[in-house]
Amino acid sequence: MKLYNVKLLTITCEILARKDILDILSKHGIEGYTTYEVEGRGSRGIRGQGLKNEKNVKVEVIVREEKLQDVVEEISRTLFANFAIVLYVSDAGVLRTEKF
Amino acid sequence: MEILELIQSNLLTPIILFFLFGIVAARIKSDLKMPEAISEFLPIYLLAAIGLHGGIEMRNTGFENMLIPMFVAIGLSLLFTLNHYQILRRLGKFNLFDSYALASTYGAVGAVHFSVGLSFLKSQGVTSEGYIAAILAVLEPLAFIMAIFLTNVAVSKQIRAKKQSFADDESTTDIDVGLHQTKTKLSQVLRESVTGKAIVVLLGSIVIGYIIGEEGFEPISIVFDEMFTGAIVIFMIEMGIIAGQRLDDIKRVGVFLTAFAIVVPVFNGMVGVVVATLLGLSVGGAVMFGLLMASASFIAAPAVLRHAIPQAKPSLYITSALGITFPFNIIVTLPILFAVSTSLHAGEGTIDLFWHATEVFR
Repeated sequence: MKLYNVKLLTITCEILARKDILDILSKHGIEGYTTYEVEGRGSRGIRGQGLKNEKNVKVEVIVREEKLQDVVEEISRTLFANFAIVLYVSDAGVLRTEKF
Repeated sequence: MEILELIQSNLLTPIILFFLFGIVAARIKSDLKMPEAISEFLPIYLLAAIGLHGGIEMRNTGFENMLIPMFVAIGLSLLFTLNHYQILRRLGKFNLFDSYALASTYGAVGAVHFSVGLSFLKSQGVTSEGYIAAILAVLEPLAFIMAIFLTNVAVSKQIRAKKQSFADDESTTDIDVGLHQTKTKLSQVLRESVTGKAIVVLLGSIVIGYIIGEEGFEPISIVFDEMFTGAIVIFMIEMGIIAGQRLDDIKRVGVFLTAFAIVVPVFNGMVGVVVATLLGLSVGGAVMFGLLMASASFIAAPAVLRHAIPQAKPSLYITSALGITFPFNIIVTLPILFAVSTSLHAGEGTIDLFWHATEVFR
């Protein structure tokens, strides 16, 4: 079985930042992603309680290494200052590289 | 004395008691929580009930007499937003973004306030003009749009000033880009709030209410009329829990904003009641009009502002609107507005405002 190396970009953020993130992804030609609602605690206290608009989400995207730099740069430049957001990158292996 | 009695009896209504109960439950860290589906369903239900009620009333009274109150409401709402901004920026020393975000939160209207107001009037046996529901729908996006517009103008002015201090050549392109972004931002906000579920449900049910009229409403009145107050009571548990969770944040809001969150809604509400009375609205109508002016938005506000003015701190505008203004308005402001409206309408003919102001506080 041959695994191809790609990057898994994981972003945990407040729900109202999700749209901005998806916009940035699609701007860089990344159309596939997975998102789900989460709860947790970070530097801005316990998140994911209360009103619908204050929920937390996690966005997972598989990105090819060559696109990663630009995407991460744009997210950190436009969103880090004003939103509750945590971003990290890990290595992943996929079977069908043509999907990404 | 009359006001204190009203507040006292208002305090002992199920709506307020369940709200306070929700706060207590949150404070003792109970795991009491509304199922998510219900807390999403209830606002839709409440807006549909408000809209139907408004639509039926409009069928009875017609459109013509709603235009003037609507334009006055728009004018007042914009005026208040500008006024809030000056207070917050000059006296409160908040930064530009927080000032505009807070100003529009308090210039905007709250549908939850509105529901509580309607059921308060119901318990007092007073009716209100149905077209105020339509005014609610029109006012909803208004204050935000203005605040966003003014913020963007201020920001691009700052950019321009900086540009000019660097170099005078070809500095226009960036400003054009900035202005263009402002335009897309505004049209996006307008589109999103007009197609947002709150306005769609509200306007849709106003139209349906207008079409079906009194007879058509008969078979569904058990759900949309008799259950209305009960549904608000359930919703108030949820509101109480959320407000209770935020009580700790109030310390961070500061003394100035706390005072602002109490004084400004009462003032705006009073102005609203007086203006509505002068326009010839009924006792109940003037109360609802005043309540629209007094209310602050905490459900729509973060959704709009977080995108349009992301630099503003949501912990300020949500906490002050939901944690301070909303409880104060439904417990204290509402009875005050009712008392003011009743006494204004009792004195027929000329209205001596000063006399009423002193009378009310005696």
